[in-house]
Amino acid sequence: MTDHTPDADELIFTRVVEAPRELVFRCMTEPDHLTHFWGPAGVSAPLDQITVDARPGGVFETVMVNDADGSEYRTRAIYDEVVAPERLAWTDPDTGMTTTSTFTDLGGNRTEIRIHQAKVPETFRSPQAQAGFLSSLDRFAAYLGQLSAR
Amino acid sequence: MRVNALDTTFAALADPTRRAIVARLAQGDATVNELAEPFDMSLPAISKHLKVLERSGLISRSRHAQFRPCHLEREALDVAADWIEENRRSWAERFDKLDRHLREIQRAAGPREEDHDR
Repeated sequence: MTDHTPDADELIFTRVVEAPRELVFRCMTEPDHLTHFWGPAGVSAPLDQITVDARPGGVFETVMVNDADGSEYRTRAIYDEVVAPERLAWTDPDTGMTTTSTFTDLGGNRTEIRIHQAKVPETFRSPQAQAGFLSSLDRFAAYLGQLSAR
Repeated sequence: MRVNALDTTFAALADPTRRAIVARLAQGDATVNELAEPFDMSLPAISKHLKVLERSGLISRSRHAQFRPCHLEREALDVAADWIEENRRSWAERFDKLDRHLREIQRAAGPREEDHDR
């Protein structure tokens, strides 16, 4: 996490990788690279089903295939912003959720990737949500209490 | 993933009054009158909120008891909470894979720039 305090309307995830920013940006925009990592654990993103038209208004589509049972899940988004090698933003037209990826050169072959999701449904928000502690209902209830107390 | 159920849940929780009602019910069942107390709202207005929560499956109401107390259905709330955790985990797992991929391609390109066999 960065020292940025998230607003009430966003989810933020950051990660530092050992690679130059240009290469990280290419990984996020070229199907040949995306196919290696876009699916989470146990999920593949076949190369022939990745569509990247990296320009504002262009399409970003993938099909996630569950390695265990072969079930498929299609993702579709429209690019809002493509600024190599520093920023990438897209919107899921079905949910309206926007995802902005920012790449910061930290020097020494290190790059920070920051994923910022906005317009997520209200209860997905808050730093507490990002800490993942909401799996406990009692704490979730406490969080809801904080929201309502504002 | 139960996307439709999730949408309904989040739509129901998008309203601050309804979130407050859910927070109150997390502490135990309550009647409409008890739920209405902290709000400057008419009983029909509160009832409307309760109907939305009931449709979303977040709360249930006894059919028989005289005051029809409202009950929080914790499982529905957990589904919403799980989405956040799942979303976070997906990015973490993606980044793990990206990290490995970056190591591999940089090792392949490595110190021998002239060697193009990846």
